Amino acid sequence: MGIKSFSRARAIHVMLVYTGGCNGCDIEIVNSILSPRFDAEQYNVFLTWNPREADVLVVTGPVTYHNRKPLEAIYDAIPNPKLVVAAGSCALMGGVYKNCFADIPSEEIEGPVENIIPVDAKVPGCAVRPQDVLAGVVSLLPTLLDAD
Amino acid sequence: MDEKVPRSKIIETEIPMGTVHPAALEPYRVRLFVEDEIVQEAEITIGVNHRGIERIMEGLPVEKANSLTEKICGICSNAHIWNSCRTAEMGLGIEIPERALYIRIIMGELERLHSHFLYLAHGCEVLAHETFSMRVFYLREIVMELLAMIGGNRVQYGCSVLGGVRPRCDLDESKLLRLKEDMDKVEEGLTDFANRFTSDSIVMSRISGIGVLPQKQALKLAVTGPTLRATGVARDLRTTMFEYDNFDFNVVTQPDGDVKSNLLIRALESFESIKIIRQAIVNIPEGKVVNRDWEMFDTGINESYIEVPRGTLYHSYALESGRVRHSIIRTPSMSNIGAMQYACIGDQITDAQLSIVQCDPCFTCSDRTIEIIRR
Amino acid sequence: MFENTLINSILAVIGTVLVCFLISTLLPGIERKYIHARIQQRIGPVVMAPGIMAPIKFMFKENVEISSPVPGLYKSLPIICFIVVLCVLIALTPQAYQFPALASLVAVVGFLKVEEICYVLMGALSKSVMSVRMPFPDQVKGAAHLKTTKSFIEDISAKRSLRMITYGSFPLYMALFAPVTAAGSIFLSDIVAYQQANGPFLFTVSGAIAAIVFFIGYMIILNEYPFSIIKAKSDVIEGPYMEYAAKYRAVVYITRGFFMFVLGAIFSVLFIGVPPTILSWGILVNIAVALIFVFMMGIFSAFSPVFTNRQLLPTILGATLLGILSIVLGLL
Repeated sequence: MGIKSFSRARAIHVMLVYTGGCNGCDIEIVNSILSPRFDAEQYNVFLTWNPREADVLVVTGPVTYHNRKPLEAIYDAIPNPKLVVAAGSCALMGGVYKNCFADIPSEEIEGPVENIIPVDAKVPGCAVRPQDVLAGVVSLLPTLLDAD
Repeated sequence: MDEKVPRSKIIETEIPMGTVHPAALEPYRVRLFVEDEIVQEAEITIGVNHRGIERIMEGLPVEKANSLTEKICGICSNAHIWNSCRTAEMGLGIEIPERALYIRIIMGELERLHSHFLYLAHGCEVLAHETFSMRVFYLREIVMELLAMIGGNRVQYGCSVLGGVRPRCDLDESKLLRLKEDMDKVEEGLTDFANRFTSDSIVMSRISGIGVLPQKQALKLAVTGPTLRATGVARDLRTTMFEYDNFDFNVVTQPDGDVKSNLLIRALESFESIKIIRQAIVNIPEGKVVNRDWEMFDTGINESYIEVPRGTLYHSYALESGRVRHSIIRTPSMSNIGAMQYACIGDQITDAQLSIVQCDPCFTCSDRTIEIIRR
Repeated sequence: MFENTLINSILAVIGTVLVCFLISTLLPGIERKYIHARIQQRIGPVVMAPGIMAPIKFMFKENVEISSPVPGLYKSLPIICFIVVLCVLIALTPQAYQFPALASLVAVVGFLKVEEICYVLMGALSKSVMSVRMPFPDQVKGAAHLKTTKSFIEDISAKRSLRMITYGSFPLYMALFAPVTAAGSIFLSDIVAYQQANGPFLFTVSGAIAAIVFFIGYMIILNEYPFSIIKAKSDVIEGPYMEYAAKYRAVVYITRGFFMFVLGAIFSVLFIGVPPTILSWGILVNIAVALIFVFMMGIFSAFSPVFTNRQLLPTILGATLLGILSIVLGLL
């Protein structure tokens, strides 16, 4: 393990972007990073709100119409290597909002997240459990460590 | 009364914040019009996460529509499904078993606890007091696990169904015992937190007099919930709901309407919630938890108001051959937005987000299609 | 003979700087893990993570095009900050005392002022995506006030850092000049010599008051909670540092830890009379002082909310008055 991977494994900055949805996933994720019960910092995962600092972008919600451009702007602001975790069923497939009228998709929803930015890991759940989010971020570690 | 009304001269600087911002847990945009670091006017733009829930509900079978309302909000999800079921139950005249009512109240009050704890923790986080925030999050975890124990999920439990509660959510002896023990733990932790919080003179001087919402203005803006009670108006819909008839609790008020009053009222209401849960544990009657004997028929518009952690929640819909028509949902944050904009005025920019947070915003709830009628 | 001494001195300075630098990289981690996390009853990150590992990680990130009107100047500012801090440390070493122009309090104060001016420039030049540049259709809707100038959140922090230059760093400078009253000289060599003859200045009444003032100034200049108004999370997110990415962010991270150590070293020179050098065991005093300061800062910041201008002004005023008191006591 080179110094690059060694350092990457010891400092992972996670940024959270909420793109609509019901707020449940956001709070569970912030909860997993902030609350002493789950304490993501013990795995050296830090929460940041600055895209220039982030390595991993966690996206929740089905990406509503007004959230598409902010999401793209934030994704573009993150320097490489960057990885995206889509958390929650809304982010994975639009949730209950996307395909609500059978074949006719809702015009409010631009998502799922995959349509807008490339997704590297998917964390299912409605709402996601904090353990799953941590597992999702950790499952990205090999990709992150080997990136250029 | 309006000592905080913005001056009518031209304001030159505008600071937009959002839609992603650390002090907000959900997407919204706030534009602050400032003059020398003092906020003169604030404008909150919502509609960022409009998903059209009422439109989706239109024409769905009522059972499906009920569980869809849960996805309106991840914080007060139980309140939405409870009120949605209650709407249909009132329209169809379904009789609900006593035990189911008690379980609904236990869930409702647990949700109030977790919502208020989230409020306290988030408020402390916006104050940049990480330690207090962590302590409350730790307490909140106990409540979250209780919710997961009863409902099977940490956030969306789907507890209420038409005619009662899901059989999964029935409380047996061991669950009641754990509930009782954990209530003691929560009360102890909350007492400790409240003592530390109120005796911390730095924090107290930092938050008193910030984001003041006068009582008259609050009534004018039709503010609901704890935000209204923090201005000294004892108005709580729980006193009029028939579910709470057998329970003894106080409506807590605070005098000032500032951040301090708002934080304290959440802590004090949490004690009342613990009290209600304890009464429910002692008095819970035996019997079945769901009544399946009811007939579906067409009704006109059915309405239901309940008190949820953030204020008054209103659901209404008509039923046509078992399907939902003309659904309208009005969430408490909708009417509190005016209060948020008002509370920012006259404070430092650093306090602007705190003033918004003090009204307990939930914009995911309140993103509805609004028609503004100018008269 | 002369050349030998020169080479030896240069080697000693380089050695001192290296040792101090290595220790300084641990300080943010110590603050995060052993103070904040311990108080908040959680485990916390690895000690190395915030101080060393994060900068190394940022070194390996892609150097993106940053959004700034003057990218060249903006990118050079953290490096200037680092060099300034390095110069302060070099000025504190006993080998530098032969150059009175460098090893004097005026030079130290000047260097610290450069550091503060850098914050203003950083704030003014950073145009982050998180406020005005966030693509959101709120122009078309109009607003309560039309024809306003849209201001970036970093612009607020630039204004605030300007305000901090004018009055915010007063306590620190008051405390720095308190030992001068006892030693009667602004040269570090004289101050050290005086304290080695008469005992540490810290243990006099004037010195004890000045030490408290120094500590407040230390927290203000490091922008730690509760004085972190220029990078408060509740409005300006990270303030001046918003746009730094990759290598430049690494320098920002390193500078913070290094600055913590150097301010501790300033204290040990001015108040205890032990200059940092690897040639004596005195460097252990320097390290201990730096650690104690970090511990105290961690405890204070864990238990206090962020101050706004409304609380900041009286706090700074009070600290400045205390500083004046200590100087007056020293003169008597």
